[in-house]
Amino acid sequence: MKDAIRRGFADFLNYRYLHGICVATIALSVFVISAFGLFLLNAGDLMDSWKRGMRIIAYLAPGAGEDARVQIMNEIRTYPGVAEVEYVSGQEALEWLRNEIGRQSALLDGIVDNPLPDAVEVSLSGDIDGTAAIAALASQIEVLPGVADVEYARQWLERFDGIYNLFRLTSMVLIGLIVAAIMMIVANTIRLILYSRIEEIKITRIIGADDAFIKYPLYFEGGMLGFAGGLAGLMMLYAAFFITVPQLSSAGMMVFFQVRFLPWGLVLLILLVSMTVGWIGCYLSIRRFLKF
Amino acid sequence: MRKMLFDPDQIIIRMYEVSKHYGDSDALVNITFDVHRNAFFFISGPSGAGKSTLMKLLYLGEHMSGGYAIVDGMNLSRIKRSQVPMLRRRLGIIFQDYRLIPGRSVFDNIGLVLEVAGVRSRKVIRDRVMNVLERVGLADRHDAFPPTLSGGEQQRVAVARAMVGKPSIILADEPTASLDPEAAEMIFDLLVSAHAEGATIVITTHDRYLLSKGCTGIVYLKDGRCVNPYGDRQ
Repeated sequence: MKDAIRRGFADFLNYRYLHGICVATIALSVFVISAFGLFLLNAGDLMDSWKRGMRIIAYLAPGAGEDARVQIMNEIRTYPGVAEVEYVSGQEALEWLRNEIGRQSALLDGIVDNPLPDAVEVSLSGDIDGTAAIAALASQIEVLPGVADVEYARQWLERFDGIYNLFRLTSMVLIGLIVAAIMMIVANTIRLILYSRIEEIKITRIIGADDAFIKYPLYFEGGMLGFAGGLAGLMMLYAAFFITVPQLSSAGMMVFFQVRFLPWGLVLLILLVSMTVGWIGCYLSIRRFLKF
Repeated sequence: MRKMLFDPDQIIIRMYEVSKHYGDSDALVNITFDVHRNAFFFISGPSGAGKSTLMKLLYLGEHMSGGYAIVDGMNLSRIKRSQVPMLRRRLGIIFQDYRLIPGRSVFDNIGLVLEVAGVRSRKVIRDRVMNVLERVGLADRHDAFPPTLSGGEQQRVAVARAMVGKPSIILADEPTASLDPEAAEMIFDLLVSAHAEGATIVITTHDRYLLSKGCTGIVYLKDGRCVNPYGDRQ
């Protein structure tokens, strides 16, 4: 085995040009797939950060006393997914509105009775999972005695969630198709390399090489091609990430969350998969060359 | 049908009523001859007579259609696929077109034979390759790549490759056909020296000059048929 690795490594360097083409093909493929992965990962983070920033407003029924309010707030605090519960009186809400509309606040001067009800503002924690969980929490609050109505950005959240899920599904299908296409491209590129070395394989056969002597170094080369291509693709992605992220930051697009690169576990998985793709490409191509 | 007595200590190659067909076309028909151990044997005949096909049958580059052949104790008509490499390691093969690996250096082309044979020690490989390169007068070109060498030099590398594994049989298919007389003479002398060390040499040629150099046995082929069966005079 040690000898096969040594010969595989020597051949890998010996046929630099052909192997370079194959590595570039794999690198571009890994770059495209990893870029999809990176986008999905950060879109997921963005979604989570939006959910974390979301609030459910529980409007209290007119005439609900302080006891009822305290009871409602204590009850809500026990619900999973709730980070903070804060009371906002109708008067505070009116003051906030007055500040918000600034010069137009004169419009509110004519109002004698404050139309804004007392409310309880519920901040959500990061571990609440999905739109359905938020809707369930809102329903749970809505049926509490003393709560008149509940409001949250339901439509907006459902629409965004729908778009995100559609995008995620489309991306998964695309990644699957791209992986299949890449497998074929890599297998054919390796086949081209083997075709260019067909005379060498024939000669090696004629001087007495058995199947193992020929195929094991080639398997190793296949794995090396996959690894080198994967590494190059990830380096390209990191370079693109390194250049793009500061620009996003300066454009104010990273207020809600911090854009991050692929985690180490995923990086290792991509390298492992690209090595396997290289090996499989070699395995599929090599069988016909062992007939000589 | 007459069966020949067979003594593997004496006869290293036996071809008995060997045939080779490509579809309806007969390339070789009922070829029968023996080659004795340490013979210097010629297979001769005009172009298209079947000399190269016969050579391919000997190293199993092609499979025979009929008859049987024994090469260094291995029955080629019954040989398993896994045994073919073992047969080929007992042979040194030289081609008219050299068949060197262009992307490997002279040293690596020759060393590959030893690696294939299972020699692991880099020092042993180095010593044996350099030794054989000195014999063919190319020690100073061990780092060169085949395309940078002349035809004569490439054929000397091919001879060195055939000799380095110390095979019991060297098969040379028209080894001098593409060479000038001086280079041809050098190749022939190298084969004579391998023969002197105990190897059995089988050469296909239609070169009368080579044939005039003398041999221990010869078989003539014409239109795929053997003109003088049992041609070994040893």
